Amino acid sequence: MSEPLPGLLSIFDDRPEGRISFLQIDETGRVTARNGHVDLGTGIETALAQIVAEELDLPLSDVRIVLGDTASTPNQGPTIASETIQVAAHPLRLAAAQARQALAGLAARQFNAPAAEITTEGGAVHWRDASIHYGPLIAGTQLTMRLDLEVPVKDPADYRIVGRPMGRVDLPAKLTGAFTYIHDLRLDGMLHGHVLRPPYAGRDSGDFVGRSLIGVDRASVQGMPGLVDIVVEGDFVGVVAETPQQAQAIAEALRVDWRMPPPLPPMEPLAQTIKDQPSTPRLLDSTGDFPRGLAECHSTLARTYLWPFHEHGSIGPSCGVADWQDGAPVVWSGTQNPHMLQGDLALLVGLAPEQLEVRRLQAAGCYGRNCADDVCGDALLLSRAVRRPVRVQLTRAQEHLWEPKGAAQLMEVQGGIGLSGDLHAYGFDSWYPSNRGPNLALLLTGRISPEPHHAMMGDRTIVPPYRVPHKRITCHDLAPIVRAAWMRGVSALPNTFAHESFIDELAHEAGEDPVAFRLRHLDDPRQADLVRRTADEAGWQSGRGPRLRRQGRMAYGQGFAYATYVHGAFPGTAAASAAWVCDVAVDTETGEVTLTRVFVGQDQGLVINPDGVRAQIHGNVIQTASRTLTEEVTFDAIAPVAKSWASYPIQSFAQVPEIRTMLVERPGDPALGVGESAAVPAAAAIANAIFDATGIRLREAPFTPEKLRAALAANVAAALPAPPRPVRKRRWRGIAALGGALTAGALALPLHSAIPLSRAPSPSQFTSETLARGAEVFGAANCAGCHTAQSGAPSAGGRPMETPFGTVYSTNLTPDPQTGLGQWSYAAFERAMRHGISRDGKNLYPAFPYTNFARIDDGDMQALYAYLQTLPPVRAETPRAAMLTPVNLRPVNAVWNAMFHDPAPLTPDPAQSEAWNRGRYLVKAAGHCSACHTPRNALGAEDASRAFAGAMVGTDWAPPLAGPEAGARGWDQPAFAAYLRDGHAPGIASASGKMAEIVASLGAVPDADIQAMATYLASQVTDAPPLPRIEAEVPPGPTSRLFEAACASCHLPGLSGAETAAQVPLTMSSAIRAPQPDAVIGVIRDGIEAPLSLPLRDMPAFGAELDQARIAELANYLRARFAPDLEAWR
Amino acid sequence: MERLDFTLNGKAVAVTGAARLTLLDVLRDRLELNGAKYGCGLGQCGACTVLVDGAPARSCVMRAARVQGRAVTTLEGLAAPDSGTLHPVQQGFIDGQGAQCGYCLNGMVMTAVALLARNPDPTEAEIRQALRDNLCRCGTHLEIVASVRHAARRMAEAADV
Ligand code: FES
Ligand code: FES
Repeated sequence: MSEPLPGLLSIFDDRPEGRISFLQIDETGRVTARNGHVDLGTGIETALAQIVAEELDLPLSDVRIVLGDTASTPNQGPTIASETIQVAAHPLRLAAAQARQALAGLAARQFNAPAAEITTEGGAVHWRDASIHYGPLIAGTQLTMRLDLEVPVKDPADYRIVGRPMGRVDLPAKLTGAFTYIHDLRLDGMLHGHVLRPPYAGRDSGDFVGRSLIGVDRASVQGMPGLVDIVVEGDFVGVVAETPQQAQAIAEALRVDWRMPPPLPPMEPLAQTIKDQPSTPRLLDSTGDFPRGLAECHSTLARTYLWPFHEHGSIGPSCGVADWQDGAPVVWSGTQNPHMLQGDLALLVGLAPEQLEVRRLQAAGCYGRNCADDVCGDALLLSRAVRRPVRVQLTRAQEHLWEPKGAAQLMEVQGGIGLSGDLHAYGFDSWYPSNRGPNLALLLTGRISPEPHHAMMGDRTIVPPYRVPHKRITCHDLAPIVRAAWMRGVSALPNTFAHESFIDELAHEAGEDPVAFRLRHLDDPRQADLVRRTADEAGWQSGRGPRLRRQGRMAYGQGFAYATYVHGAFPGTAAASAAWVCDVAVDTETGEVTLTRVFVGQDQGLVINPDGVRAQIHGNVIQTASRTLTEEVTFDAIAPVAKSWASYPIQSFAQVPEIRTMLVERPGDPALGVGESAAVPAAAAIANAIFDATGIRLREAPFTPEKLRAALAANVAAALPAPPRPVRKRRWRGIAALGGALTAGALALPLHSAIPLSRAPSPSQFTSETLARGAEVFGAANCAGCHTAQSGAPSAGGRPMETPFGTVYSTNLTPDPQTGLGQWSYAAFERAMRHGISRDGKNLYPAFPYTNFARIDDGDMQALYAYLQTLPPVRAETPRAAMLTPVNLRPVNAVWNAMFHDPAPLTPDPAQSEAWNRGRYLVKAAGHCSACHTPRNALGAEDASRAFAGAMVGTDWAPPLAGPEAGARGWDQPAFAAYLRDGHAPGIASASGKMAEIVASLGAVPDADIQAMATYLASQVTDAPPLPRIEAEVPPGPTSRLFEAACASCHLPGLSGAETAAQVPLTMSSAIRAPQPDAVIGVIRDGIEAPLSLPLRDMPAFGAELDQARIAELANYLRARFAPDLEAWR
Repeated sequence: MERLDFTLNGKAVAVTGAARLTLLDVLRDRLELNGAKYGCGLGQCGACTVLVDGAPARSCVMRAARVQGRAVTTLEGLAAPDSGTLHPVQQGFIDGQGAQCGYCLNGMVMTAVALLARNPDPTEAEIRQALRDNLCRCGTHLEIVASVRHAARRMAEAADV
């Protein structure tokens, strides 16, 4: 087959930004249609394709939609306010209709038929029996036409594609990983950027913005692998490197000094904070005479409602790619608003907007102004500096901290019922501290001024839909307190929370059914119809609230709310209207609210894609329920607190209610936006349902269990559980035990004679059997563990050991002659091992376990010595000890040794097996297990009467290995053997930290010896009833939510058997059962990086995510929930 | 330079210099696979889920070195390698339209594959439970649950013939 001749039918328009081709059909019959809006994850691409395919009578698969490229798509403003279908789709529909008309014209000529008789279907023109596909019809033709705004469009009654459920066109590629999100774009020669943000996270006004950088110490990262450049401009600091990991590592290592920003105003109580800000009142509706009307009312109410700050919380942190291209840059972005971004970026780098192109790729779902635009400024600055494409991926923490928050809002309502029983006066004041989120790079570089500005966006749905003779509606415009902008439902959601709660309160005052009360005041028949039909379909149980239905501790209620989402500058444009009927179950003991069922009726005029509309309703319900019930951004003195989902939990499958929808069919009416409408009534409907269930009126979102618990308790005048007491800092008690390490520098004076330097024997003098045996002893004693510094050479010492007297460092065990054991004779080595005296005669720190090592038999001792002499010599000076006070331990040491040190070898116990005796030797001598697991007395000596009873070692907990406590855990010979071999005794314990290193080191020890150690250890265990393994019910609150969001996925996973889940249940955690919280705190803060040689798992560190106080609260929570049989930590 | 060898979607791969990288970094940045997504890097969201020897794993909290000698399956490896025929779970997600933005989709699909391998006919409650630790901000939960049910049905049908 020959190639078809090229051909093109194109519909264009001349717009301020240049000539834009809305729609093109080529010789293959494929259609490319362009729209200036973008797909925020809502499936708008599919809906637009449906509109084009409908008007053009061709299959959906032949339509390609290009969204949001500044070079080729029209500037139709930001994709906000759900107006893509309502407004931006219009020219596309016209263009498609016009193209269809043109095709019919071409066909009429070809068939020599009257144009009116030409029909179109399935991507082809038809006349009588003849038909021809669009492609061949266009081949060889070039037809360019200006968009005709008067062209007739199809009668909706004839729709075959619009109004039908259609699968998402982008879904198949997303399901196979073939789809390119912005995060997936890779360009040739692309480098990676990582930004370092100033300490004023999430703030955008004040004279410190753009002026807080003191200096960047480039030398601090010199020579780090992959470094390409460090870019600094104002407060913008970014690193460019070859790989993302290198860029991040360099950014984290880079020394940057900042001036500390001034504190935020106190963010609690939030209502006060908002009201204290300067604001400008804007009177929007002053129907009648409000003061007079209010005075005429026979019953009035004055109420205040508060909405908190929220995170948008896209699941994928923002990403952007920029390619400077010699001053004609292209930026790939997940932006909501390509054309506005184009202007911002042009300003950032001093270009005219048309010199810069923004190409839009899909990102993770976007529900408003998140960091998608900011990251493009970052990428562009970095690309300009290095003249290569640069990709910047924000971290989860950067996104959480810096995204402009969904703005908080304060609403004050005053109103009343007149003598007729009707709503008579309604005063409404709303404060919405937000702006449009100026691009962060513009602020950080000082390109724009950080003066506080407000955007007039607090007025969405600010006028209630009800008939009221006297109204005074005022919007108080104010600048953001922290970076804040629009988020799904914008100000209409909080405004409606207030309106629709207040109406419920008035209905209650009037003694009426809340739906009937509303209907009495609704004049618009279409709105009244929606309210009535929703109530009917949903099974609204009419009556006056609160009905207080109770069953045991559970209270049940139903709530109604309704709103029309009005967007755009006041008075704005109406999008779809939505009504909610929801059912809640309230646990009156815990205060938890379960949203069990939500029924949404929605009137959106013509429905383009019913599946898409339903998906939008579901998304709005689920997301907004989560915002209403639990979400809230909190702040420390400077910045927002949450850096991950840990401190800002969002909805999960566990909370998703049953959702029913009713789409009111109005095919003859224009399509209305549906992206946000169903969110708007959410908070009020839930508040009204809670009132119906409990009689408690919540006016401050979120409706957390602790808030409701407090209100319920106040209702019954019962006392609340006292708040947990703050964790006190742990004090040193006596001398803390150390693990076993030769630590130098404890003493100022030599106490013993020095043993002269002598060249150590050369390794060739030792037999391979001796060396193999030495390696086993070395492994059993885990010498390398204590004698290797973090990222230092193995066994070269330098690991800091915290002691009550200061910090000492382990010594270099390698045979380096100057700094290691290279000039130690065997005699010197043996004296150190058995008596704790260094070659030069100084005492080693007393906790060095020479009391254990003394029992190593001569053969093993010599083999160990030999083995050490074969290590690769490393020159490494032992750092000087940093002692707090000069300590002279001479007399103490002498007495101590006399009291506690018995260097005599172990005598075999003939009554026991050979394995037992061998095991005892390994455990007590080289293994020095007791050094950690046996508690010490006040003088730091092991307390023999409590051998292996468990002890704190610094901040670690070495759990009991003997007695009934070990028995209760289930320790027996096979469990010990498995643990010592693999670090994991199924169901009992998993090694971490120091112990995991020890187990890795025991890899050098043969199986028979491991079995022997297990045999001996098991003989010390006493039978006992197993641990209770019970979980307690802990009242829900911020910490239980933190646990569910940050810990549960690995520690109580919904699907067990995950490769990254914890191997031992928390009810068995020895750290949680330890006498002090330090071990739990340490592991939460530092995480776990288990040796790769063992089948163990890692745990991420939360030290950067959670502050000390939150970690301590989490530790206490774990103790209360997973070790309820033990006392709380003091 | 130390070398990491493992099986990825049925094929042997080798990567050097990956000792300090997470499995997610290796998959995305070294092997240029886009299925697994970066969402939090802390094991909280599930966007990065892959299968290691058939078990779900959060690749952002797993060091790549841990898959030495093991078999890793990503979203890209679910469809039949020759025909490209979608895995029944992928099909189920088309049937149920289980995505809005789809950023969470990888985690939902991979977790569903692991669930159905163990429990071919889960109840709605079991599906919700299994997916509990996978976050979706768009609120696609109901469509996702429906998709998993479609997937279970497709797998049962395929097993019948
Ligand atoms: S990215 Fe791995 S769990 Fe979130
Ligand atoms: S579909 Fe967007 S996060 Fe799930």
